[in-house]
Amino acid sequence: MSKASKTLGTTGNLIVPSRRNVLRAGMSLAALPVLNVIAPRSAYAQSGKTTTVQGIETGADVEQAEKEGSLVFYTHDSGAAAAAICEAFSKDFPKIKARYVSLQTGSLFSKILAERGAGRYEADVIQFSDLGTAIDLQNKGGYAEYHSPQQKYYSADHLSHPAGLFFWIAMGFAGIAYCTDQVQEADAPTSWKDLLDPKWTGKISVKQANSGMQFTVWYELRKLYGDEFWKEFAKLKPKGFNSRVQVYDRLARGDDYISSMAEWAGYQLAHQKNAPVKFVAPKDGLPSSPMANGIADKAPHPQAARLFTDWLMSEKGQAFYQDNEFLYYGSIRKDAPAMPGGLRLNDFKLLVPMDMEDFLASRKQFNAEWNQMLGIL
Amino acid sequence: MATSKAKSRRSTITGISVVTVIGIFVLYPIFFLLQAALKEGDGTIEGSTGYGFGNFERLPSYSEIIWNTLQVSVVSTVIAIIVGFLIAYILTRTNVPYRRGLQQLMAVPYYVTPLLGALAWGLLGEEHSGYINILWRALGGEGAIINITSPMGIAWVMALFEGSVAFVMISAVMQSIDPSLEEASQVIGASRFNTMMRVTLPLVMPGVLGALVYVFAEMLGSFSAALVLGTPNRFYVLTTAIFLMITQYPPRIPLAAAMGVVLFAVMFLMTYLYRRMIAGRSYVTVSGKAFRPRPVDVGALRWVYLGLVCAYIFMAVVLPLLTLLYASLQQLATAVPSWTNFTLHHYEVALSQNAVRFAIRNSLELGVITATLGVALTGTISWLLHRTKLPGRGALEYMSMFPQAVPRLVFAFGIMWAWLVIPVPVYGTIWLLLIAYLTVFLPLGVRTISGVLLQLDKTLDECGQVCGANWFQRLRTINIPLLRPGIMAAWMLLFIGSVRELGASILLVGPKSQVLTPAIVDAWTYSSSEVTAAMALIQTAVVGTVIAIFMMLMRRSELKG
Repeated sequence: MSKASKTLGTTGNLIVPSRRNVLRAGMSLAALPVLNVIAPRSAYAQSGKTTTVQGIETGADVEQAEKEGSLVFYTHDSGAAAAAICEAFSKDFPKIKARYVSLQTGSLFSKILAERGAGRYEADVIQFSDLGTAIDLQNKGGYAEYHSPQQKYYSADHLSHPAGLFFWIAMGFAGIAYCTDQVQEADAPTSWKDLLDPKWTGKISVKQANSGMQFTVWYELRKLYGDEFWKEFAKLKPKGFNSRVQVYDRLARGDDYISSMAEWAGYQLAHQKNAPVKFVAPKDGLPSSPMANGIADKAPHPQAARLFTDWLMSEKGQAFYQDNEFLYYGSIRKDAPAMPGGLRLNDFKLLVPMDMEDFLASRKQFNAEWNQMLGIL
Repeated sequence: MATSKAKSRRSTITGISVVTVIGIFVLYPIFFLLQAALKEGDGTIEGSTGYGFGNFERLPSYSEIIWNTLQVSVVSTVIAIIVGFLIAYILTRTNVPYRRGLQQLMAVPYYVTPLLGALAWGLLGEEHSGYINILWRALGGEGAIINITSPMGIAWVMALFEGSVAFVMISAVMQSIDPSLEEASQVIGASRFNTMMRVTLPLVMPGVLGALVYVFAEMLGSFSAALVLGTPNRFYVLTTAIFLMITQYPPRIPLAAAMGVVLFAVMFLMTYLYRRMIAGRSYVTVSGKAFRPRPVDVGALRWVYLGLVCAYIFMAVVLPLLTLLYASLQQLATAVPSWTNFTLHHYEVALSQNAVRFAIRNSLELGVITATLGVALTGTISWLLHRTKLPGRGALEYMSMFPQAVPRLVFAFGIMWAWLVIPVPVYGTIWLLLIAYLTVFLPLGVRTISGVLLQLDKTLDECGQVCGANWFQRLRTINIPLLRPGIMAAWMLLFIGSVRELGASILLVGPKSQVLTPAIVDAWTYSSSEVTAAMALIQTAVVGTVIAIFMMLMRRSELKG
């Protein structure tokens, strides 16, 4: 399929507010909310000399990194995604064998804490699906400080505070999706509040409380419409799933009519399979969850970890995150290319949690409410 | 006297070393689990403020989930045991046609992972989009003829796939029964049904009870079917609740551990009952009197039996595999075929993943090592339990049953904590998985070998002793040949069990020790059901080939023997 037709096809199945409208609404990547976090922001503290290898500017000692010979990547992403990332990196640096451990964020966090508690340091680079977990690890002293030369391509708001511990490697965001075999376009919702219509009772899907993205959706919509929104929503008896793939598979088969937790990455995959599914970018905005990536404190392969981080932050690494079928995330890098389908992050009105303290503190309430709504208590 | 002293010293030494190994493997991780279950605080391990029973006090609010668990476990165990017993009887005791081929086919549902079965039946029996229901509506029916996401549907899938182990365990015992006992019953006028109920059934009782306890425990800890089929219907069991608690952030491990401890207590009780039931009764059927296992001629009934076995194999093997094959060849799995939807891309994706290729190799290697070491270890335990007067035998049996009682997902945490702090470099390597597999499969091995051992007359061994054979000679020439069906069944069960293991592996795999089933679950979670179908079929084909080779070698050695 040519790029032009791919673009047409994607937008053909996609209801996105026009770019002009979005910009009129005052939202663009540049306007992505500023994090109001615990620690004050610091300027880039670029240290040491840099070299350019394979077109990537790095602050790592490449020779030493190759001597270390390997690195271990701990990630919340799927095994397939992690394997693809490691393979792509090893293609550029064949002397460094990249391996991975892939677990859902909660289990990954437990594993890291258990290992560190026992004085074992297995991980070199760690990636979590949401900022809350990363800040938790940061507060526990879990990250090593490294100021990548690639940081200049990122807004200071999209780095850890203080900078140099982790960065926003990618952005996941979610809207609404529906099955076109079951729902006419005229009946489809255009805003989040349209979801509260009782006609969706028993026909709507969400994700389980273990999803960082779901937490962000809950948090942002609660901020927009108050606790009442979710109380009303609970009356629809939504079904909770473990992954975006299940959510879209069921929509494609018509088992569920609509999903209020439709991740863009999952939609891309469904669209690629010609599934009868449409994506709606609600006019009131799309809750977005940045993923955090940083070098582990006491990493066993420190230079390889730096090189890997620089590669991930580079245009090449970011393009990989946007285009790989197991990832399909949006890049937050200032000069990021367009995503598959021709859209960029700033074509969407993104809602990112700003007050991290409040965001982190509300996790417990979310877990309790969400589990109760889905019938798990 | 010197010999008997030496003998008792030897069995004491063996006993002590086995108890030590089991203690390290089983009790040490369980200690960590109990500790976690007693932690108080904000529900996380890190935020704990002390010890208490708070987690247990919270459990009554989960009564609906506990009730759901019991409901599906009981129904699926009953189905599995009845079906397992009937088919084991048909295939080992009657002259049903194509016996050998059917016996081999019967092993397939066991090595087909339950996840695969759940996925396939999900495609077939979903209320709206299930292929069976679509066909039903196309034929003029209304609504849904089957709803696989209902509790009964879930129990059905669990019985088909998790319950197939009952057949293997019961048939190992049935193979060792002297058919003259059944013939005698028929000679004095008992009907076939009466003979089965009054002769065959009581003789295989330890095997059936063992299988019952084992299968029930397996159902309590079962995960895949409830996860795949239960969640769409907001139907949760303990394991899926535990899974959700562990994977969410922050993980609520103490509460999950408390739930694990409750399951553990139930299982402890079941083991106690099992021991009480078989205590003081003799199940010896293999004695010095020569017999050749002969199938009973059941006349025309054999065609009915053949129909029954074929129906089971169709539902547990043929239909799920065909469904998955069909799904894996489509871009988007739908009931109505269309040429434009056809693709081989999912196989390309599955095979192109290096991780999967390494995982297949790791899984097979681990399977062979686990099965071989596991048979030696569980054989020794069974021997100590039933053939020695080792003090504390009862405790050893309970200990070897413990891992069965804790859901593997939770047990894996215990194993992880236990081996992290030991300064032996096994953490993060394939050896940790080996230790985990040996631990979680102890009950399976012990049950299978014990079932056969209980039928073996001690006097055979004593005859050898009287004739001057030493311990090793007796083992080699008398006991091992007689125990062979049990040992082979145990090897096979352990091999297949470890290749398809999920709960313990998912947390313990390291960067250098990927194994296959977690990779399949991963594909199900993140890739697509079509890629998952392709990967599951690849796994089934690889494991099936290994088993076929194993069977061929066994038959060749049998012929030689």
